[in-house]
Amino acid sequence: MPVIRLVNVTKKFGSFVAVDHLNMTIQDGDFVSLLGPSGCGKTTTLRMIAGLETPTEGEIYIDDTLVFSDEKGINLSPDKRNVGFLFQNYALWPHMTVYKNIAFGLENLKWSKADIEKRVEELLKTLQIEEFRGRYPAELSGGQQQRVAIARTLATNPSILLMDEPLSNLDAKLRNGMRAELKRLHATSNSTFVYVTHDQSEAMTLSTRVCLMERGLLQQYCPPLELYGEPTNLFVADFMGNPTMNFVDVKARSTNDGIELTCPSMNLLFTPLEAVEIDESEDYVLGLRPEAVLIQDDGQIEGTVISSLPSGMETTLSIEVKDVRLSSVVFGNIDFAMDSKVNLTFKGNTYILFNKRTRNKVAMGSLTIK
Amino acid sequence: MKRKLNHLFAFLKKPQNLILLFFVVTLGYLVLFPLVCIIRDTFIVHASEVMRVKGSKIGDFTTYHWIKVFADKNSATIFYTPLFNTMKIALGACIVSISFGGSFAWLVTRTDMRWKGLLTKLFMFPYIMPSWTLALAWMNFFKNSTVGGAQGIFTALTGIVTPNWFAYGGFPITLVIGLHYAPFAYILIGGILRNMDANLEEAAVILKTSRARMFMKITIPMVMPAVLSTFILVFSSAMSAFAVPQFLGLPVRYYVLTTQMFRNLNGTNPGYGYIIALVMIAIALIIMFINQAVIGKRKSYTTVTGKSANISTFKLKGFRTPISTIFLVLVLCVSVIPMISFLLQSLIKIQGNYSPSNFTLDFWIGEAGASNELNDKAGILINKDVWKGLFNSLKLSAVASLGAGTFGFLAGYAIVKQRGTFLSRFVENLTFIPYLIPSMAFSVIYLSMFAVRHGPIPALYGSFALLAIIGTVKYLPMASRSGVNSMLQLSHEIEEAAMIVGVPWWKRMTQIIVPIQKSTVISGYLLPFISSMRELSLYVLLVTPANKVLTTILFQYNEKGWDQYANAINFVIIVFVLVINFGIEKLTGASIEKGVGG
Repeated sequence: MPVIRLVNVTKKFGSFVAVDHLNMTIQDGDFVSLLGPSGCGKTTTLRMIAGLETPTEGEIYIDDTLVFSDEKGINLSPDKRNVGFLFQNYALWPHMTVYKNIAFGLENLKWSKADIEKRVEELLKTLQIEEFRGRYPAELSGGQQQRVAIARTLATNPSILLMDEPLSNLDAKLRNGMRAELKRLHATSNSTFVYVTHDQSEAMTLSTRVCLMERGLLQQYCPPLELYGEPTNLFVADFMGNPTMNFVDVKARSTNDGIELTCPSMNLLFTPLEAVEIDESEDYVLGLRPEAVLIQDDGQIEGTVISSLPSGMETTLSIEVKDVRLSSVVFGNIDFAMDSKVNLTFKGNTYILFNKRTRNKVAMGSLTIK
Repeated sequence: MKRKLNHLFAFLKKPQNLILLFFVVTLGYLVLFPLVCIIRDTFIVHASEVMRVKGSKIGDFTTYHWIKVFADKNSATIFYTPLFNTMKIALGACIVSISFGGSFAWLVTRTDMRWKGLLTKLFMFPYIMPSWTLALAWMNFFKNSTVGGAQGIFTALTGIVTPNWFAYGGFPITLVIGLHYAPFAYILIGGILRNMDANLEEAAVILKTSRARMFMKITIPMVMPAVLSTFILVFSSAMSAFAVPQFLGLPVRYYVLTTQMFRNLNGTNPGYGYIIALVMIAIALIIMFINQAVIGKRKSYTTVTGKSANISTFKLKGFRTPISTIFLVLVLCVSVIPMISFLLQSLIKIQGNYSPSNFTLDFWIGEAGASNELNDKAGILINKDVWKGLFNSLKLSAVASLGAGTFGFLAGYAIVKQRGTFLSRFVENLTFIPYLIPSMAFSVIYLSMFAVRHGPIPALYGSFALLAIIGTVKYLPMASRSGVNSMLQLSHEIEEAAMIVGVPWWKRMTQIIVPIQKSTVISGYLLPFISSMRELSLYVLLVTPANKVLTTILFQYNEKGWDQYANAINFVIIVFVLVINFGIEKLTGASIEKGVGG
């Protein structure tokens, strides 16, 4: 049963289109990340689901209930949508104690005093903030405030939890810890999570599905590894991955053996997984993930090391092959001397050919050096 | 069609939109309509003018006023000389307040001057006290018998007779207004000096810049935006000052735009008065645009970084005590000494004679018909009129501040909530207009607007309600500006977090927004209250004997030359205002300083 369904949802601010005809279905129990650069419409989408923002057009269903329809004039207020919302800046009420912050929403729902007390105690315990119950938000660290905010959001037992970059204000170490906790929370709470982030590694590591957006348009909506491995267009390919994918401008020509790719520095043969048609008058772009640019003594292409950035677990290399610069990731604890010569080779079928004009993926396949 | 209806319905469901609509309607009537009225009134023949505009009836269209004010042989007296005087005074006042307030700000924030706490507290006095305080004090000290009837304290002490130019007219008006607004300069410039990132100066020190060069090349340019805002604030305030030029200018027939306007409106040429009012609004608008053009862009570089824990203080060394003493004396001269002079003046029987035998408490507690021969009135502490005036003042100020504070905060809330929409911008400008209309002109318009019944709105002239309405509207900008500023600091998320759990609007306001914005809300009430307690030009034309307020009683007594009573009342007003101000500051932490610039 789909939990959240967006149909042709559009949001305009004046003449600016923040979200453009978005269609998306979020399944029960999913952990969906809305990912994209700032200004891509991800937060607006989240707020429209919550009912904090009114779409200009379209329909939104939650649990098969129509909660918004521009045409039918339906617009349920946020509190009737049974969602929880975790704000970027926590939005804790500064004049209320931790206890009161969590209890306030429940009081408003006319819970009995005893029930409220029980529920708040339970949450304080789960989130390990029992000792702070009497403190004011200003007296807490960022991480503690975050926990209070989560507790407050969970208090009413929402079946859907909407989160707007909840970890972006934390320092790197704390962020990693909270990520793990969020993932556990998702697993134990059986709720559906919708999570806005601009941090691709957050989206990759947490979600069951990622929705990548750019300028209000949905680019790709799929499980995270698919997003990384099989990007549908150049934007997705470029956005995902760090260090970023290598892009080489090439000319393509179909031959009997496969597709011949030429660029000033090398000649390659691309074997697509499925048959494709190549238009020789078009320009193409070959995308190579850094970990698919392999350094091997018997590699047939010689390159020069421009820089070597060892991090202990892996080393990121920048290699120049004639006029093309490629980055490569070598796993293990190795360093390379600057200006030293290395040999490159390619393996596997993770290489992707894009049409330069349409920016869309043409084919995935393997590479051999001619 | 249905879609449009749905949109309208969704629009009306948001409380902030309803608030904005409410303001469009009420302020449209109470602010925009008066503005139109002023323009219309410059083109029609008024009752008192029928004789002069030949062959006309009341209400006829005429360009008589415009010609007379701008292009007639008498235009110099009617308009150009007062305009010139106003400009001279406003500029002079800016120089006085920026140099006095600015140097004081630098001494307090950047040097090891003594008695900083006491000095800063006293320095705020002139701003908290009514604007005419220093003018009356000046007269008490320096008036001469040629014009003022009796000699002042200065002449009594030294035997030197003050010349007219020193006692009255442009010079003392400029000085007094400048000193009254010097706290603006101190607050604005001091604010920057205090929050300026010490690194900026330290970077210069590292580069081996001399102290003097650093001051000229770094400190001064850094405070320039604040100096400019002070300039604009003081200039526009000085321009619309009424009481000071009225008290100090009238005895020598020295007119500025406001006093000239009062004379015309109150006399037989209301048409001239309306034109002068329009000119003043136009000047205020120009200043506002300059302000936005010049300061708007530069604001960014005054941004506070917050890392300013260790500002190095400049050692005054041998000059420490002399400079501190000089400033102590100066500050006492504008704070405590005027008050002493009021007390003193209210205690002497025959003016100008300061010998002990001449002292009396008659003017405070004397029965009517007793030894007090000047004018047979009861001393102010047992005078029913004065008590009634005090009560009216308090009642009026309480109502006006409640109105202005509440509506202003609601306006601020709704404006920020809907920021970016046309409606929000429109209301924001509407709430600001009362600030631009000179008080006097505003009250004249209300006078004519509410003189007769208009549809469902009854004739309000002479009623307390009219005073309350005009007070509320006039002080609305103070509260709405601070409301907007503080709501901008508050993330929308704070309210949305409550919306998500279905907290209704009124509960979000009373339990979340207002408690968080407590200090803004209180200053939103405090500022209009104090301003209204010491307001003169706004009320002076609208009061009737039944609802006189303290300030208009003071004005009336002063005009009639009942000096001792006037001084005594003035003393009472000041004490009241000071006590209320410091009381509220102590209780709530909200202070009048925070409202400057609003």
